[in-house]
Amino acid sequence: MLSLTTGLVPLVLAGLLGWTGSVKLFNRDTVRQAPKTALARILRSSERAALVLRAVGAVELLVAVGLLALPANPVPGTATAVLGAGFLGYLGYGRALAPESSCGCSANEDTPITWRAFARATVVLAGGATAAANGAWWSTITEQPGGSLVFLAVAVFVLVALSVDLDRWWLLPLRRLRLRVCGHPLFGSEPADRVPVAASVELLERSLAWQTASPVVRSGLLDHWEQGGWRILLYSGVYRTRESAQPVSVVFALDATASRDTPGDPVIRVSFVDADSGEPVAQEMLNAVPPRRALPTVG
Amino acid sequence: MTYRQNNNNGGLGRRRFLTTAALSGATIVGATALGGIDADAAFASEPSLDPAIPTSSFVEGRITGITGSVLQVGGSYGDHSRVQMTNATSVWKVRPTTAAEIEIGDGLYARGVPMPDGTVAADAVWVNIVNIDTQIRGIAKNRLHLSHGQHEFIGHVLPDTTNASYAGRALTSDLSRLRIGQRAQVLGAWRPSDDSVDIVRVSVGH
Repeated sequence: MLSLTTGLVPLVLAGLLGWTGSVKLFNRDTVRQAPKTALARILRSSERAALVLRAVGAVELLVAVGLLALPANPVPGTATAVLGAGFLGYLGYGRALAPESSCGCSANEDTPITWRAFARATVVLAGGATAAANGAWWSTITEQPGGSLVFLAVAVFVLVALSVDLDRWWLLPLRRLRLRVCGHPLFGSEPADRVPVAASVELLERSLAWQTASPVVRSGLLDHWEQGGWRILLYSGVYRTRESAQPVSVVFALDATASRDTPGDPVIRVSFVDADSGEPVAQEMLNAVPPRRALPTVG
Repeated sequence: MTYRQNNNNGGLGRRRFLTTAALSGATIVGATALGGIDADAAFASEPSLDPAIPTSSFVEGRITGITGSVLQVGGSYGDHSRVQMTNATSVWKVRPTTAAEIEIGDGLYARGVPMPDGTVAADAVWVNIVNIDTQIRGIAKNRLHLSHGQHEFIGHVLPDTTNASYAGRALTSDLSRLRIGQRAQVLGAWRPSDDSVDIVRVSVGH
């Protein structure tokens, strides 16, 4: 098993470095993505970052070819380990300097540096160290074809799981499939016919009652409760200004089953209650509002 | 003690009293108006929503200390303010709540009236409120996986609190029409401890 692992590590690493290297070197998006990477912050220039990304891509490709062609030679393995260590150092520095920037590891991802990027760089470092002294990978495959296939499949699975930019190819479809098979997890958790308080507040804030009372209302929603089919919403406010200013509680009562989508005009009751004496105030101001219907709309 | 302060003891009697007051109040029929100072108002560009307040102040930042009923706030641009809580101040932290729920380290938006001693007497305080343009990347029983630009985070679904609005229709507690891949505007409260968000409202299909 150990010989299988060490024998095939160069092949796996060559695949990974070949992929990330060619993306960095040949993809047109490299220039577009460069400003978003932590590298651009470190070098303080998007152009320099794009150049360095391309150069790193070329080095990765070179190392990948070396790993494939010269498995018995310790140079490609050592180079891979050095590359992995460099990636780790860069990721650590980049994460400390610009945690929101992307890593640029495979150049076309725009997710920030997470533990997965660190894990992938660690795999490169450890794999490089393992591959530094080893036999040829093709002899391992010919000697143990079944085991090799299983190992390669597992390795590809691990690397794909560690690559954030591949999520949309497997993670999202997997989650969609789960919803389709297991049903929507948020279905039926709440009785749908109940009108949430937020919907009552929304209805209130679009009402003529609110328009009338809003010069007095100063706070957000303080308290709410239901009684006899009414939903009571409590706000605090100040009636009149300057010397005669009077703190009041503003109380609205509206149908607990009505929301913005309920047809017809909602009936809303409003009262200002003096905060200190508990006496209703300004009834005449509220009563003066003429009943008004919504304007007819076309359609 | 005025009846306003009897929030905990005798709250039922106070509610009954206010219910009576509300139901005997003026009846106003009709729809169509603008404005509001619900959680959305925390993001209004014009801080003064209220013509009765000649000068209202807006404070934002992280709470660095709490002394009695005064919150010390360190602003995003290095400024410092003091916010005076009163017993008429509304506090929003996921839902309407009390000042006792506010903790040091919380983010804060507050609107109020400047006082001669340099404090701002708050009318309304919104704690940790966020309003984010996101994409839904995963749905589970008690959370949504959301992404905002390059940032991925968890949105907690709270029973009794999380509401949804589909294509501009009224808010509903039915969340079963959310789909993976949809763009969603999420209003919620950020949890400083683990950088996740408690979802209050998710609007899709606009």
